[in-house]
Amino acid sequence: MRFTKTPTASKRSRATLAAAAAVTLASTLAACGAAEEGGGDDEIVIGISLPLTGDFSEPGKGIQRGYEAWAEYVNDNGGLLGRDVRLEMLDDQSSAERVAADYEKLINQEQVDLVVGPFSTRLVIPAAQVAQDYGYLFVEPAGAAPEVFEEGFENLFYAAPAVADDHYKLLAEHILAMPESERPKTAAYASMDDPFAQGTAYGLKDALEEGGIKTVADEVYPPNTTDFSSIAAKIADTKADMVVGGSQYQDGVNLIVALQQLDYQPKLAAFSTAPTETEFAEAIGDKTQGIIAPTGYTTKADYPENQEFVKFYEEKHGEAPGEDEANAWTTGQVVAAAVEAVECAEPDPDCQSKLIDWLHENEVETVVGPLSWDDKGRPQSAHMIQQWVDGEIKIVLPEDQAEAEFVYPKPAW
Amino acid sequence: MSGSLLLQSLILGLLLGGLYALLAAGLTLYFGVMRVVMIAHSAFLILAAYLAWFFTTQTGLDPLLSLIITVPLFFAAGYGMQRALLSRLRPATLTMMSVLLTFAIALIIEGGLGYLFSGTQRRIQLGYSSASLELWGARIAVVKLVAFGLAAVSLLALYLLLKKTRFGQALRATIQHREAAQLLGIDTDRIAGFGFGLGLATAAVGGTALALDATIYPSLHWHWIGPLMAIIVIGGLGSIPGAAVAAMLLGVTQALLQIPMGTTWAQTVFYLALFATLMFRPQGFFGGRLAQRF
Repeated sequence: MRFTKTPTASKRSRATLAAAAAVTLASTLAACGAAEEGGGDDEIVIGISLPLTGDFSEPGKGIQRGYEAWAEYVNDNGGLLGRDVRLEMLDDQSSAERVAADYEKLINQEQVDLVVGPFSTRLVIPAAQVAQDYGYLFVEPAGAAPEVFEEGFENLFYAAPAVADDHYKLLAEHILAMPESERPKTAAYASMDDPFAQGTAYGLKDALEEGGIKTVADEVYPPNTTDFSSIAAKIADTKADMVVGGSQYQDGVNLIVALQQLDYQPKLAAFSTAPTETEFAEAIGDKTQGIIAPTGYTTKADYPENQEFVKFYEEKHGEAPGEDEANAWTTGQVVAAAVEAVECAEPDPDCQSKLIDWLHENEVETVVGPLSWDDKGRPQSAHMIQQWVDGEIKIVLPEDQAEAEFVYPKPAW
Repeated sequence: MSGSLLLQSLILGLLLGGLYALLAAGLTLYFGVMRVVMIAHSAFLILAAYLAWFFTTQTGLDPLLSLIITVPLFFAAGYGMQRALLSRLRPATLTMMSVLLTFAIALIIEGGLGYLFSGTQRRIQLGYSSASLELWGARIAVVKLVAFGLAAVSLLALYLLLKKTRFGQALRATIQHREAAQLLGIDTDRIAGFGFGLGLATAAVGGTALALDATIYPSLHWHWIGPLMAIIVIGGLGSIPGAAVAAMLLGVTQALLQIPMGTTWAQTVFYLALFATLMFRPQGFFGGRLAQRF
């Protein structure tokens, strides 16, 4: 289903239930794109396919809000290369087959000037393949799993601070920089059997093992696990100095409570995702003290780009942006930086390869800080590390962004 | 493996088994009374858990107090459901059609919860959620002990009700031989309705016990229905003591197997036990003839 009105669209109109919604959205979009005729020299058309319905519709809509806010912001500020930006959005219904067909259509039939990526690994890979076949630059907002970077894409750039394995990079560096006598000596790991969650925990595990911190427990559990008391018992029995959870949400919360019930008191406790969710403190109350989590985005980071983004977004939507919105905005910033630098935004392969080459060699200032990439498109930055201090989650690493001192050993929970 | 881990796992297994027994009790009762396979039982558990969570967030009172409302409510809902829906199914195809009917009810409950409370995962914030008692170096979480206590009290009450009261006699008579019970003047339709209500009332208690120490979300019931079905088949369909013993055995086995095998493989114990039961003793380990199952 299409979300903008163009002459081609009306010819090929589809009798779907969602058509009404499309019209509403199209008029919103048309308001920010100057010309409705499309494809002229006075505008840059960016093609996007997003999971607006189906499994990934929640994050997909977050990405959509981010892209739309970014386009509006750019147009309010004189556009790109003096041309207005118009977004050409399709709904891939969270399907990997559809997303490939969508990009095929955007590039081949619509001849959009640029494309940017959809949400999540499963859709990013087929979409990037199509973009690669046509020589298009492909910057994507979500798709951090290792598979994305193992397909040999030369046109792909992930517009976030770090891939899953590197989420704990700053924490690993911080721990290994501690004096030998204070450092934790043993560590226990528990991770969901999921490429993303496991990637975060094992990234830290590899770094710490190399630094001489012994692994005393390494538990993997299926995603449907709800009872964590036995896993907690095994971890507590090792009396490890630190515990690391490769968690999403309910697993992280349940494991933390189960560890507390066994009165296990580690010096350091790090869990991915769960502690950064708003529901976390509501679930476990005041027993959050000292819990650490990596985060790809926070509205509090004081990069000037971020401050401006938060202000603009809050004015438009009346609420703070989340990580999905920020990742989409970052994607826009990365593409814009390349376009401004090489001064072109056309479908022809020459321009696209110039854009790709430029991003391989340069650093871009974004809402998540300065980003640069390796030859596979992996961002070379790191996730910030947050810690629960006195009932609030605060940035503790890197030190130049810190809102509070890193607390170690962590107080009893 | 240390001795203290073994003791700790044994305790956790017993506590978990107690919870399983409570959650499975209603399921086996419906089958005993009416030959109904109640897929929606676990959905009602999650519904009760949500009501307990909602009660606590709204009033700030302990979730256990929500039982005062949910137990009568669920009893009435069970009675109503049996009289208005299940009793209308044709006896010849009752077991099969009840799967379809209660499957639909499970979907309605799940959808309704998602609509009202969104898919956000919730947990009741309790002052004593991480409190524990020490026993020979092992820890017993207070919330798990409370859940176990609820299970013990409810199952004992259920047992006494069925064995010692006139209603229990009438219910057992209905289970054993409906026509003979009718000839003796028992209003079997009403009794069956009450039996169903009783089963659903245990779901209210079970759901509340579950909510004390779990993070809940609307689709969580799919995770529970499989293990609970396995428990009642292993215990012998219709037998409450059978379900209780099977639940304790499986809970302890699962907890102990987790030490050497890890979480993924320990979960399979339910299904292995189910296969073994169906192969060697399909009537279940405590189910003789249905008539003697109480």
